[in-house]
Amino acid sequence: MEKLMELLTNCCPAVDFTADARLVTDKLIDSVDLVSIISDIEDAFDVNIDMEKIVPENFDSAEAMWELIQSLK
Amino acid sequence: MNSGNPYEAFTFSDFVECLSPSFVSVYFLIFVLLVVLLYYLIPKRFRWTVLLTGSALFYSLAGLEPLITVLLSSVLVYFSGIMIERTDKSRKHLRRVWLAAGVLSMLAVLIFCKCYSLFEWSFNFIIPLGISYYTFSSVGYLADIYWGKEAAEKNVLRLALFLLFFPKILQGPIAKHRELAPQLNEGHEFNWHGFCFGIQKALWGYFKKMVVADRLGTMTRTVFGNYQQYGGALLFLTMLAAAFQLYCDFSGCMDIAEGISQMLGIKLEKNFDHPFLSRSGAEFWQRWHMTLSGWFKDYLFLPVSRSKWVKNLSKKIGERFGAQARKNTMILISSFFVWVATGLWHGTGLPYLLWGLYWYVIISSSTLLADKYGRLTRALHINTENSGWRLFQMARTYLIFSFGRLITIPNDLEATGNILGRFFSDARPWELFDKTLYSLGLIDVEFYVMLTGIIIVWAGEVLRSRGSVRERIAGWNIPFRCAFYSLSVIVILVFGIYGGGHGNTTFLYMNF
Repeated sequence: MEKLMELLTNCCPAVDFTADARLVTDKLIDSVDLVSIISDIEDAFDVNIDMEKIVPENFDSAEAMWELIQSLK
Repeated sequence: MNSGNPYEAFTFSDFVECLSPSFVSVYFLIFVLLVVLLYYLIPKRFRWTVLLTGSALFYSLAGLEPLITVLLSSVLVYFSGIMIERTDKSRKHLRRVWLAAGVLSMLAVLIFCKCYSLFEWSFNFIIPLGISYYTFSSVGYLADIYWGKEAAEKNVLRLALFLLFFPKILQGPIAKHRELAPQLNEGHEFNWHGFCFGIQKALWGYFKKMVVADRLGTMTRTVFGNYQQYGGALLFLTMLAAAFQLYCDFSGCMDIAEGISQMLGIKLEKNFDHPFLSRSGAEFWQRWHMTLSGWFKDYLFLPVSRSKWVKNLSKKIGERFGAQARKNTMILISSFFVWVATGLWHGTGLPYLLWGLYWYVIISSSTLLADKYGRLTRALHINTENSGWRLFQMARTYLIFSFGRLITIPNDLEATGNILGRFFSDARPWELFDKTLYSLGLIDVEFYVMLTGIIIVWAGEVLRSRGSVRERIAGWNIPFRCAFYSLSVIVILVFGIYGGGHGNTTFLYMNF
């Protein structure tokens, strides 16, 4: 999780990933951020994220992303 | 239609000729009232049939051919969706074939319609109104079934209702099946609060369209239609007016669509979120025509950025130039497709392609150079949260949008170049003060009505951005509320433009 938080902070320094907000639904991250985050996650955790996994629920919080990574490993 | 003798009988065929699928007519208001009345009168489980019948009737006013085209499209999309879902996920190729069959057929009809006017044909074809909107909704629906994000609709008539639903068929919003269909299928209880809010929203839309947009339209048509006669200062002012006209026209139509839906207990997806309060081009496109931007993000930007060839190419670039270059490549390639498609969605000519590329350059450069802009503002000690700076950014975004609009308004790049040239070579600033403004198709009184309307719309939008104006009005005492509603209706009836000399016939986004 620490590794993911570091990755997210580097990718979008202006976004507080610890706050209780819905990142995609509330538009705290846009599509460009999302593509960057996905490609960073794939590199860092050696996973492949298919299109069907790219839904707001999987990227609305750092915890949701962490769960997605765990399910893909 | 009768045009000469006012005493000549108004026949039934004249009446039919008057009808057209438009929000701006008395017949449409009567039609809405009938639909709402019938909707709440019949049992809940049949209420969706009222919406389907009403939508089919409304759309058939454009002609029988367009209605048949949409109904055939519904059948095609229905079968394609069912076959994608029924094919086992392990048979990926077959699922792709079903997806491609549905998507390519829908896109082929759309492309044919877009290119129809470019060539001469030996047959007449009525282009279905709102074809882009229902095509995009269909493609999104099929892609979502393919990706396992939603289930296929099992009733072809309910799918036809999703595509045809009358408040959104002409100009959107581009609805997502999983969000809209359950609301259409469910029979809603009558809700007085929601009903009143719906009327308010529709009234606000009619005000924006009939009082402001159509007056601005008269001015922009007069000036850009004879741009050689006017100086650069007036052309510049008209360019700014054209941007506001488009906003009032398009967002006005969305308000009407949202309002009517709300009267039926249905919530349409938001299409505008105070776009002129945006501080950058990228933010603007998150607030303007949001369902189109969202569609391109979900069904073009993300799939292209996730495609094998883009991944491989960016990986190669990343190995040579680093991780940031890899990400930038991915974003630049995907955005290119999005903006070319956005341009061509708006029109098929070269000006529209150029308009798409104009936004591509602006948004891509602001994304790629964001760090450098940040460093520059810090070096210049600019407080980016200062209201003056925010105002400057909003004005800059408005200007960028207005210049972009100038590329497509004359639909002729030479004319656009000439207008731009006149900004500098022949400014004639006195035309702004010597009563020329009153000779642009609007007499002085009408001009002041338009100005007042612009101020009211602007103030209303700023107030809406700070909280629900409708909630505040709902809190007023009944006599004040009644007076307010009556005044709103009177203002629209007295100051609205109904066609004739002003040439107000349709909404600007209705031809897509």
